[in-house]
Amino acid sequence: MPRLLATQSHVVHGYVGNKAATFPLQCKGWDVDCINSVQFSNHTGYGMDKVFGTATSAAELESVFTGLKEFEDYDAMLSGYLPNRESVACMAKNHADLKRRDPSLTWLLDPVMGDDEELYVDENVIPEYKSLVASSLVDVITPNQFELEILYGRKIKSVRELQDALKTLHQTVPVIVVTSCSSGLFGNSDHLYCVASMRGQPASIYKIPVIDSYFTGVGDLFSALLIDYIHHKCNDSNTMDCLDINGVLATVHQVLAVTLEHSPKCVKASMGSPLTMKQMELRIIESKKWFTGKTPNENFYHGQLDLV
Amino acid sequence: MTKKVLSIQSHVVHGYVGNKAATFPLQYRGWDVDALNTVQYSNHPGYGHFDGFRSRAQDLREIIEKGLLEGLQQKYDALLTGYLPDPEALREIGDVLATLCESDSEIKWILDPVLGDNGRLYVSPDAVPAYKEILLRGTVYLATPNQFEMETLTGVQITDLATLKLSITRFHELYPKVPNVLVTSVMSSTLDQDTMICACSELSKPDSARYFSVPKIDVHFSGSGDLCSALLLDIFLRQPSEALDLARAANEVLSLVDNILKRTLQLHLDTQQKALGQDRPRKINDLRLIESRDLLDGSGELKYTPMVL
Repeated sequence: MPRLLATQSHVVHGYVGNKAATFPLQCKGWDVDCINSVQFSNHTGYGMDKVFGTATSAAELESVFTGLKEFEDYDAMLSGYLPNRESVACMAKNHADLKRRDPSLTWLLDPVMGDDEELYVDENVIPEYKSLVASSLVDVITPNQFELEILYGRKIKSVRELQDALKTLHQTVPVIVVTSCSSGLFGNSDHLYCVASMRGQPASIYKIPVIDSYFTGVGDLFSALLIDYIHHKCNDSNTMDCLDINGVLATVHQVLAVTLEHSPKCVKASMGSPLTMKQMELRIIESKKWFTGKTPNENFYHGQLDLV
Repeated sequence: MTKKVLSIQSHVVHGYVGNKAATFPLQYRGWDVDALNTVQYSNHPGYGHFDGFRSRAQDLREIIEKGLLEGLQQKYDALLTGYLPDPEALREIGDVLATLCESDSEIKWILDPVLGDNGRLYVSPDAVPAYKEILLRGTVYLATPNQFEMETLTGVQITDLATLKLSITRFHELYPKVPNVLVTSVMSSTLDQDTMICACSELSKPDSARYFSVPKIDVHFSGSGDLCSALLLDIFLRQPSEALDLARAANEVLSLVDNILKRTLQLHLDTQQKALGQDRPRKINDLRLIESRDLLDGSGELKYTPMVL
C-alpha cells in the first residue's frame, strides 16, 4: 500500500486542502498521513470574518514532524496551502530531509501563493518557494499562471514566454503542470487551459470548458489525483516516459459535475457570501465512484504547446 | 441528501484512532463528516512516544459556535464525540453540543465516554463528573462505554452477566434521559475466557437488553473502539425510525469490526513473517482501514446470536 505525507490546511466543514485530498487518495488505496497547517471552521472564501480557528504555529508543526521520524517510509509527499513564511520553511526543511534520505519518493509541491494577480499569502513566502523550487529536490510543481510568473520572476504574455518559463524552471524541476493559464494566452475565455510539461519532452495543452461558478479546493483535489497518477506511472513502468494528465483532469471535471448536480439551480457562488459558498463546496463524498471506479475518458487533450 | 455528522475527536497524523479511525469509514459509507480535531499528535500514545499539541478549549468552542453554527448555519444529523484531552474541553464542548441538541431534537448525539480501560483511568479524574453531567442533561442519544467506563459511570463492578445486567439497570436509573446504551468489551475471570461480551439496551423497551458473546482475537487493536462507535452511528441511524433495533445494529457493527480486525491481523502477520517470522503480536498499533475498504462496502452480515440478558 503506497504511503503519502500531506502537509496542508484542514477545514472542519467543506473540502479544501487535506479534506479535498485525503478521501480521494484513500479511495485509491493510499495510506495518507495528514499534517494540518491550520484548523479552520471553513475555507477563507467565505470571507475572513467568517473563518474561525487557528493556524498551526511553526513550533507546533515542527513538533509533529519530530514525532513522525519513525514512520518515514513514505512513497510520496504533497504540500499545499501553508499560512506564512515560518510554516512554509518548516515544511520545506522537513520534506527536504525526507527527500534527501529517500530520493526515490515523489515530492509534489503546490506553491500556493495567489491567483488572478492577487497574492493571498505574506510576501515573504515567495523567497521560500523560490529556493525550494531551485533546490532540485522537488519532482512536481503545480502552479497556476500567477504563481508560475512569481517563480519565474517575469510576467508571461505569450505562448513563447510560457515555453521560456517552463524551460527555465525545468532546470531544477522535472514535472511542471500549470493548472490554469490566462485565457489571453490561448484566446478563448470559455475554456480553461492547463499545460503539462515534462523535462525534455514537448508540453501538452488541455482545454477544459469553464463552469461559471466559484469552486474552491479544485487545485487541491487536482494535485492529489496527479500524485496518484504519477506514482503509478513511475511504478508500473519504472520510469516516467510520458505525462498524460487527461485522466486526472477528467476525474476533476466529473467531481465538478457532481457538485453542480447537487447544488440548487441557479446558485452561483461568490466570494464572501457564506451560504452560496457552502452550496458550492466540492461534493467529494458524492463523487466516490469517480475515485474507486474506472477513470472517466472524456478527452481534453488540445495539442502540443510547441505547435501552437 | 447526504447525511451530515460533526465528529469531535483527536487527530493523529500517522495511524487510525479518533477522527482518523472514524472519518474514512463514515465517508466511505456516504457521510459528509465535519471533523473537528481536539489534538494533533504525530501518532497515538500507544506507541509509547508521540509529539504534537492540543487545541485550546476556547478555540474549539469558537469554531463550533461562531463558525459552524452561526456562520454556516450547519444542520447536523448526528454528533460523534470521543477522546477529549482535558476536562475543560469536555465541559466547553459538552455544553455547546447539549445546547445544540436542545434546540434541534432531530440531532442524534453518539457519545463515547472515554475515561480509561482495563481498570485504569487514562484521563483526568475531573472528566468523570463532567461526563455524568452530560449524560444527565438528556441530550445524548446513544452512549458507548467500555466495561471500565460503565463501571465508573454506574458504580457497579461487572464480574458476570448478572452484574452486567445490574449495571445497565443502574445506568437507566441514573441517566433516565439517555435512550440507548451499548457496553463494549466486557471480560471477567468468571466469564468464558475465549469470548468477550457486548451488551446493549434501549430504555424505551423494557427487557430489550441483549448481549453477544464475541470470540476474542487475543490482540489489542488501537482505535477499534473509535471505529466501533463510528460504524454504530452509521448503522443505527440508518434504521427506519419506526423499526429501531439497537441489538441488530450492534450485531452488524460487531460483525463488521471483527472482519476488519481479522484483516488487520492477517496483513500484520503477512508483513511480519516476511520480516522476522515473529510470533503473534500482543498489540497492533494501526488498523488497516484503507485495505479494509471492500469490507466497509459490505452490508448487513450478522455473525452473532443475540441473547436475552
